[in-house]
Amino acid sequence: MGLIKIFTKAHCPKCPAVKEMGMVLKKEGVPVLNYDLDTVEGLGEASFYSILATPSIVIEDEEEREVVSWRGVVPSLQEVRRYLLRGIS
Amino acid sequence: MSTVIEIKGDHQGFKEDVETTDMALFVRTSDEAMYGWDRQKIVDALIRETYVDVDTAKEIAREVEDLIATSKIKMITAPLIRELVDTKLIERGLEQARKMHTRLGMPLYDVDQLILHPNKENANVPHGPEATNLTLAERIKKEYALLSVFSQDVADAHMRGDIHLHDLGFIDRPYCSGQSLEYIKRFGLSLPNSIAMAKPAKHPEVLLAHMVKFAAALQSHFAGAIGWDSINLFFAPYLEGMSDQELEQLAQMMIFEFSQQAVARGGQAIFTDLNLYWEIPKHFENVPAIGPGGEFTGKTYSDYLKESQRFAIALFNVYQEGDGSGRPFFFPKPLVHITEKFFQTPGHMDFLYLICEVASDKGNTYFVFDRGETAKISECCRLSFKLDQTDFEDAKQPWRMRYCALQNVTLNLPRIAYLAKGEDAQLFSKIGEFVEMAVKAHLEKKFFIERLLSLGERGPLALLAMDRDGTPYLRMHRASFLVGMVGLNELVQIHTGQEMHQSKQAFKLGLKVIAHMKLMLDKFSQRYGMRFVLEQTPAESTAYRFAKLDLKFHSPQSGHIVKGDISKGEVYYTNSTYLNNSAVLNPIERVRQEGLFHPLIEGGALTHIWLGEAKPAKSSLANFVRKTFQWTQNDQIAFSPEFTTCNCCNRTSRSLRSSCAYCGSNDVDGITRITGYFTKVSSWNKGKLGELRNRYRNQAFLTEKEGEMELVVNTK
Amino acid sequence: MIEIKGFLETSLSDWPGKICSVLFLPHCNFRCPYCHNHPLVFNPEQYSTIPLEKIFDRLHSFTNWIDGICLTGGEPTLHADLPLLIRKIKEHRFLVKLDTNGSNPRMLENLIEKGEIDFVSMDVKAPLDPFRYSCSIGVPIDLKPILDSIALLKREKVEYEFRMTVVPGLHQEGDIKNLGNQLRVGRRLILQNFNPENPLDPSLKQVIPYDPQVLKQIEKEVQEMTPSPLSLKDESAILTLTH
Repeated sequence: MGLIKIFTKAHCPKCPAVKEMGMVLKKEGVPVLNYDLDTVEGLGEASFYSILATPSIVIEDEEEREVVSWRGVVPSLQEVRRYLLRGIS
Repeated sequence: MSTVIEIKGDHQGFKEDVETTDMALFVRTSDEAMYGWDRQKIVDALIRETYVDVDTAKEIAREVEDLIATSKIKMITAPLIRELVDTKLIERGLEQARKMHTRLGMPLYDVDQLILHPNKENANVPHGPEATNLTLAERIKKEYALLSVFSQDVADAHMRGDIHLHDLGFIDRPYCSGQSLEYIKRFGLSLPNSIAMAKPAKHPEVLLAHMVKFAAALQSHFAGAIGWDSINLFFAPYLEGMSDQELEQLAQMMIFEFSQQAVARGGQAIFTDLNLYWEIPKHFENVPAIGPGGEFTGKTYSDYLKESQRFAIALFNVYQEGDGSGRPFFFPKPLVHITEKFFQTPGHMDFLYLICEVASDKGNTYFVFDRGETAKISECCRLSFKLDQTDFEDAKQPWRMRYCALQNVTLNLPRIAYLAKGEDAQLFSKIGEFVEMAVKAHLEKKFFIERLLSLGERGPLALLAMDRDGTPYLRMHRASFLVGMVGLNELVQIHTGQEMHQSKQAFKLGLKVIAHMKLMLDKFSQRYGMRFVLEQTPAESTAYRFAKLDLKFHSPQSGHIVKGDISKGEVYYTNSTYLNNSAVLNPIERVRQEGLFHPLIEGGALTHIWLGEAKPAKSSLANFVRKTFQWTQNDQIAFSPEFTTCNCCNRTSRSLRSSCAYCGSNDVDGITRITGYFTKVSSWNKGKLGELRNRYRNQAFLTEKEGEMELVVNTK
Repeated sequence: MIEIKGFLETSLSDWPGKICSVLFLPHCNFRCPYCHNHPLVFNPEQYSTIPLEKIFDRLHSFTNWIDGICLTGGEPTLHADLPLLIRKIKEHRFLVKLDTNGSNPRMLENLIEKGEIDFVSMDVKAPLDPFRYSCSIGVPIDLKPILDSIALLKREKVEYEFRMTVVPGLHQEGDIKNLGNQLRVGRRLILQNFNPENPLDPSLKQVIPYDPQVLKQIEKEVQEMTPSPLSLKDESAILTLTH
């Protein structure tokens, strides 16, 4: 099963919306990993995906290959769900 | 010379006129003089240089005198007397006084070696009287720095090889600097301490002469590279109406002037970078242009696109030809900025082909990628400055745009991994300790340089203190403080058992380590109001030094880790955040994976693609450059071919060979890029030679059936 | 299926303008004394075969980067199932470049007609007369297929180039110009310098290659030999020139 990675920062205007989305998806049983770019763990992981802006979302398939990503933009929940279905099924 | 006990001159006070031993002893001083024995001089020196009280000083003087008297020698040198005094200070536990009383200098044997043998620490230093002077001076200043500029724990960390303080021999200068040609266009060449003052240049040749002289003056005030921003653009207002031939002539003059400056300080060529743009950089578009005589021309720089481009082409035509015997020019290095606007500016494909042809044939071209809204000035081997909002304000008066890095301190990352013994928490806390030590070193160097600068235009750094536009030439508030790293690959290898290219986990640990360093430096930047940034250290000799020291202190483990050939002494750690040089990684992977580190390394980063003898098609290189810009975050790339130059027939051929391809002579020299610049291989240190043997050059390989042996065959 | 004996993931020198991967196929019907891939000709079994799937797997990670795949050898057209391999590559949406010595014009024609290949690089070994050609390739040869292949390419239904490896002793300056004059393809004739490292005939190791500057000059001259009106009209003109 694939998963969704969410990259945020403490002081970024659009980040709360994405965090919220992550919580919703988590409740639905989607594996969600949160990364804070102000931490070592988060910045290291973000660098791996060349993520330079927050908030960003990466969806990976079960072999940890990137299916889709949104960088510095907030997609709609439906959009994310659509790719999740594709990447995870 | 105050480094010896002063024998001459009158001494006031403290003189003990009774029972001066009437020894038949002569003292040789470094003032080229011999004096009769006088115990009082010991007392004077101790009082002048240390905090020792008079009674102790007298006591010590007498003891030393007794010691010498019983030995019955007839001649003694002042340095020996000093050392004898030092032993007495130690006997009394006066460690601080002994330190203050230290004599700096070199053993006869070392000086002899130095004068007779070349210096391999920096391949850019040739061997000659000037070079020897430089090395001698560096030795003393290095000792001075470690003893007097840095605190004991910083100095010790350097000596142990936890960290490396770069350019200690240049302790009284900042590290490197980037300038704007506009400064000399506007103010002419009027240097403090110089007899003649030159008004702003009226002709391009004169401007070039000013530029070269200013560069030489700067070289004697900085330890490292001297970079020039947008040089083709800033020359442009002087070039109107010139024919192609005249332009090429000027370009030739510029390149030869800088490549043959081996007559400068220490016989070292000036490490010069020329930043070039095909387009008018956004931040200069509407800036009033300065032309002949330092006058505003009434136009903006946008109006000089044609001249600027023609000059860039002329420069690359010269690079393409190479020097008198077809060799690539080592300096000045051309750095072409690849931006969004580059691809929107007409003619860019032809220009891209031209610079790619030079990259393929000669290797000179550096491709600097400025994506999005960032603009950069690249300075040194890798160092680049990202321009922020205040810089864009400065850009309206481009002469203000001068930058510097004050110092470079490199961390021995593999050392941290040995110490952490495989524990994550230990690893990250040790990294923290090492970073903190580097920051401390920076604070101490800054304090020292500020002391020198505070003496203003009458002090030793007069050039940097000169004030022509309301600000000293060196803008301390804009200075960067560089923290570099060596051997990230080996840190990961020690900690996880895998090298970075071998697994995703290993690679991610590498990223985390660098992320940790960056976040720490961000915090220190806030705390001290200074700009601490990570840089990929060129580490020409540091990678070798650290490996040697770890073989000593962390054997036997280190024996399995260091790269190169231990039996030949050609050992090294992988530079900065690079992947193993010998790893079979194709250029795409190398550019992509190494590029993932680059956004964290704000001081500038570079990926090398070793070409070996392969000569790629210019159009394929252009394709590669474009994709690197589009699909990666890589900061800068350079392609490095290899050459053999014959000392017999003077011709140059592709690839490294043991004999000349044309005349068969064995008197040949290899030429390729050492770290950030080209040199002759014969001048390289052992660590770098080990790396050279290991560099993977993207040749085709056929995998043999049995075992994992690879047979290298050349591609067609 | 053809056994793939070598795989260079990225090449910047095999296909002008493109970034390509190179697949090395075994066996050859020529014995050029200056060949430096001869282990592929004589002992291909000493190398393990690389499964095609593995290659595609690997190439998948270079999406956006690799434009095409170059098939070289050995001599790829010796393999009857080469078209099959090419079709598989095409299914993965890579462009295909074929390196050939021109000895199999029929297969070449087929591939071109079906639009299966995007670029052909044909090695030309000597001026087009049977004796000189045989000397250069180390075996006796009937020149007909070579001439057919040349004529085929000159129809310009596919992008192409002719490459000549120039070996001092084997090729005089006059030979190169002769060939240039016979081909008359302008900038599509490329000269390559001989590489004395590991040639098939060990005695060639002692041969000193041409001075690159000199070679460049000759190349410039032959590239200035543009198609004559005659050869444009009559594809067999090249045959009359040589017979």
